[in-house]
Amino acid sequence: MKPRAGSLDSLLKALVPAYGPPGRETGVRAALRSMLRGVGRTREDALGNLHLHLPGSGPRLLLVAAMDAPGVIVTRVESGGTARIDLLGGRGAAEAVGATVIFGDGERALIAYDRPANSKESSAPDASALYLVTGYDKAAAAKRFPVGSVGMLEARLGRLGDQWHASSLDNRAGAAAVAAAILRSGRIPYDLHVIFTAQSELGSRGAMIGAFGVEPELAVVVELAHVGEAKDQSPVTLGEGPCIGLKEHGYIAHPQALEMARKAAKAARVPIQYLVREEGSTDAGAVRRAGPGVPTVLIAIPARKTGGPDSLVHARDLERTVDLVVRLLATPPEKKPAARTRTPRRGGR
Amino acid sequence: MPRLKRPSPRRSGQLEWSTDEWLRHLTALPGVAGYEHISRSEIERAFGLFADKVERDRMGNVLGWIHGTGPEPRPRALLAAHLDRIGFLVSRVEAGGYLRVVSVGGFDQRTLPGKEVVVHSKPAMNAIFGTKPPHLQKKGEAEKVLPLEELYLDTGMPEAVVRRRVPVGTLVMLRQPPVGLLKSRLAAPGMDDRSGVAVLVRTLQALRERRPAWDVIAVGTVEEEDGQICVGARTSAEGLKPEIGIAIDVSHGDMPGTREGDTVPLGGGPSLCMGANIHAGVFDGLRSAARAIGLPFSVEVTPANSGTDAMDIQIASLGVATAVLGIPCRYMHTGVEVVEPRDVDRCATLLAHYLVSLEPEWRATEVLK
Amino acid sequence: MPAARAAKRNGAPPFEERFLEAFSNADGPSGWEAPVRNLVVDAVRDRVDSLEVDAMGSLVARVAPAGARSRRRLPHVMLCAHMDEVGFMVTAVEKDGRLRFRKVGGIDPRILLGQVFRVGMNGARGVVGVLPAHLLTNNDMNKVIPIEDLFLDIGAASREEALQAISIGDLVAFDTTYEASGRVRKGKAFDDRVGCAILASLVQKRPPVPVTAVWTVQEEIGLRGAAAAARRVAPDLAIILEGTASGEAPGASPEEQQPRMGGGPTITIQDRSLMADARLIDLLQRTAKRRKISTQWKRPGVGGTDAGRIATSGSGVPAAVVSVACRYIHAPAAYLDIRDPRRVLNLVWHTLESLRKEWP
Repeated sequence: MKPRAGSLDSLLKALVPAYGPPGRETGVRAALRSMLRGVGRTREDALGNLHLHLPGSGPRLLLVAAMDAPGVIVTRVESGGTARIDLLGGRGAAEAVGATVIFGDGERALIAYDRPANSKESSAPDASALYLVTGYDKAAAAKRFPVGSVGMLEARLGRLGDQWHASSLDNRAGAAAVAAAILRSGRIPYDLHVIFTAQSELGSRGAMIGAFGVEPELAVVVELAHVGEAKDQSPVTLGEGPCIGLKEHGYIAHPQALEMARKAAKAARVPIQYLVREEGSTDAGAVRRAGPGVPTVLIAIPARKTGGPDSLVHARDLERTVDLVVRLLATPPEKKPAARTRTPRRGGR
Repeated sequence: MPRLKRPSPRRSGQLEWSTDEWLRHLTALPGVAGYEHISRSEIERAFGLFADKVERDRMGNVLGWIHGTGPEPRPRALLAAHLDRIGFLVSRVEAGGYLRVVSVGGFDQRTLPGKEVVVHSKPAMNAIFGTKPPHLQKKGEAEKVLPLEELYLDTGMPEAVVRRRVPVGTLVMLRQPPVGLLKSRLAAPGMDDRSGVAVLVRTLQALRERRPAWDVIAVGTVEEEDGQICVGARTSAEGLKPEIGIAIDVSHGDMPGTREGDTVPLGGGPSLCMGANIHAGVFDGLRSAARAIGLPFSVEVTPANSGTDAMDIQIASLGVATAVLGIPCRYMHTGVEVVEPRDVDRCATLLAHYLVSLEPEWRATEVLK
Repeated sequence: MPAARAAKRNGAPPFEERFLEAFSNADGPSGWEAPVRNLVVDAVRDRVDSLEVDAMGSLVARVAPAGARSRRRLPHVMLCAHMDEVGFMVTAVEKDGRLRFRKVGGIDPRILLGQVFRVGMNGARGVVGVLPAHLLTNNDMNKVIPIEDLFLDIGAASREEALQAISIGDLVAFDTTYEASGRVRKGKAFDDRVGCAILASLVQKRPPVPVTAVWTVQEEIGLRGAAAAARRVAPDLAIILEGTASGEAPGASPEEQQPRMGGGPTITIQDRSLMADARLIDLLQRTAKRRKISTQWKRPGVGGTDAGRIATSGSGVPAAVVSVACRYIHAPAAYLDIRDPRRVLNLVWHTLESLRKEWP
């Protein structure tokens, strides 16, 4: 049976394993292009962002989701046929240990680390201790994994009870939610620009330039937020709905955009949580400070880490994120754009 | 951008306010980064008393314009003082109704235990950073500084009330009224950078009488204190594309225990920063202006990073000729930031004098060929 | 010049070593690049079509391409090297005439002791003295002294005496003079005066494509000058010329000793500021192969250059970095192999020729 348009299951299945380490987002870009074929005009920019434009007569609305996934780059090949690496994004060396890395040309390798020789204790390694096991001798390894080769942590979509897990869910889950929302939307009262950003794992480089030339009046960023481990007293719970980001590193919600997200959530009957954190960041910070500034709100999908490469996301949160974005896209803009409103308020507290 | 209506000056008598009154007024207005809009109307009112027009851009920066007398297109000088001050946001409500907060802009956490705060819920509530009495402490406990994560706020209210009224993200400000010290010095939280905003108001007032050839835009910028990037400075400079940008912010005033060259004297007039963030021509212009009117000043060396809005203004647009004017201030990022109102006046006098002296044809880009 | 070498250049302009010598000997810590800029202006003024200094002090020169107008729209290339070097600034003068200073850019505090510096623009010299070992306990001998605790001694006996020779805010630079010995050149600030010299040499001849050459400021304190300059230039692509760290050191495995001084142009794939444009790297590689210039890779993951700022300017700019591998950058004296800047100049020139034919 053919799944309905914008089914998250099928989108996730296509996006999660798609090749796309930071700066080399070829596979995921192709997957997104194919699933959004016929929806609007697409183009690619110098840094690898995929732009989708759905022209409309309303204000310019920018919808952003990062599409790259954690990767590695080979820094040198060693005498034993192993290769030293540097991490491209991701969440630290310890969580990469044991992961399989796939390369653009189909080569595979495993991430290992220099274990202390006589120690039974395993301490958290840092990136300089990581290396790739290639299975080849030095000459073959140097040929197949030359310095500068970029690979991605292999991602397989898994399901545990109500939760999805995969190493690339950050931010393929966000990209899937945005794609689903576009596919499910009817008429959109905006001039809608969508950017699936590249190189977000390297400091939101794609997001820095994506809004150039668009000068959006409002931006919505959809991205995963790791909200802590199970034992923490995190105020955010998986399964209780998407978060609206109030503050994180480099980002503070714009009052106008925040109000809009809140109203949409209420209208869509989507329960929401709030994200307030000092550390951690998404593309939202880079989007909002582009050019003369973009009023921006972050919609964060709550996620947990596993201690390994995988992240966990609650399927219900993801569905509700789509509902929220669909409603946001359907809600006609307020008559006055942000700059003209006399006294923007943070209502509803 | 909308032009805002000029407030009626009669209503408040603000036209005649002394700098001390302005400082007391401005430091009483709440607003951390991202929450500047809470007090925006007061800032707009203050600018509107003297500016030719007041605007608000989409990021929330407040712009007070003085139209120059030179031929169009006129070069622009941007004066920036940041509107945000340091404070906290509620991050969690815990069993018992205790509140945990995250800091927006780095409050000196050593100064927080036992302090009173205002929780800007609806309606607002007062609270205290809870402390453990010495009787209950273990030996040696008092020797450790409590990090913010271990501090909590106590409103004294039942948990149910707190949960109903205080959602995550609620603004929390230190509750510390201004205190007058000897030599008419004033201690208050938020002198960083509301004393700079007072300089903007005073400068607009001076320029209303003595017109510059350039357009001057006094900008109350948003979000200086949060993160590595001064968002309001960057976006307003990108939008205005000025030739010159001057940040007005607090400088460390002389305090016991500091080293030669690390501070500037309180009551010694503005400090002129010097370093890579500063355009040599603008620095020279400000220094000459100060010398010409016999105004005391000090020079502060900030080799690579001035730590102000000027960092982001300088690299905005096609590059901006920047300078930093410092208001000497003791005990920065505490609830008792001490400023001498006379220094605020001198900053404004210097700025007005310098801006009026700018040649209409000066441009930051030098064409050699 | 021997005919053989001239032929090998295949039309590329020669590398002018006199530029390298003059630029290296000039002082220009971040924010105070004027002495270097003045030399660059002298070197290129008559060869370029326009020349501007922006508000931060970056020098921007436009050069139209040689030859008949191409039917294709030629790509506009930004070539870029930074003028600033790491150094220090005088922050205060003590009563006894010693100067306090702070660093500008990334410097290892261990290289300062017993070092000689040039202070300000009036020829003053200063030394960073230390208490002799005789007067110290063994314990103190093993401690690294942080920069805040060091003083510059310019020979003054009082604050008044000191202030006659220098001013607070004066810039401090390593007191090093350029020297040649065989193929090796020794000097200070090869990061990035060697890039400045390659770029000044390159614009002596009209390039195959439209070029905007930019000598930037404040690279060492956060890639700042390039942020504003890139917006002014708005190029189709950018190539950044750098002096980068050689990986050579005794005891390291051969794999770790990359790149090497004298090993040819060093190409960056990725560093902390940039994921270099894959097509541009490919073009550089193919051009090098065609011209029989051997190249080497910069170790991925280390350092950052103006390329990062330029790549993320406007709507994004494809960017790559080609460097000369130098030993001991960010220190008083560095080495480079004089063949390397020649090869970098050749590679970049011929890449510009390739760009005329096959970009985008």
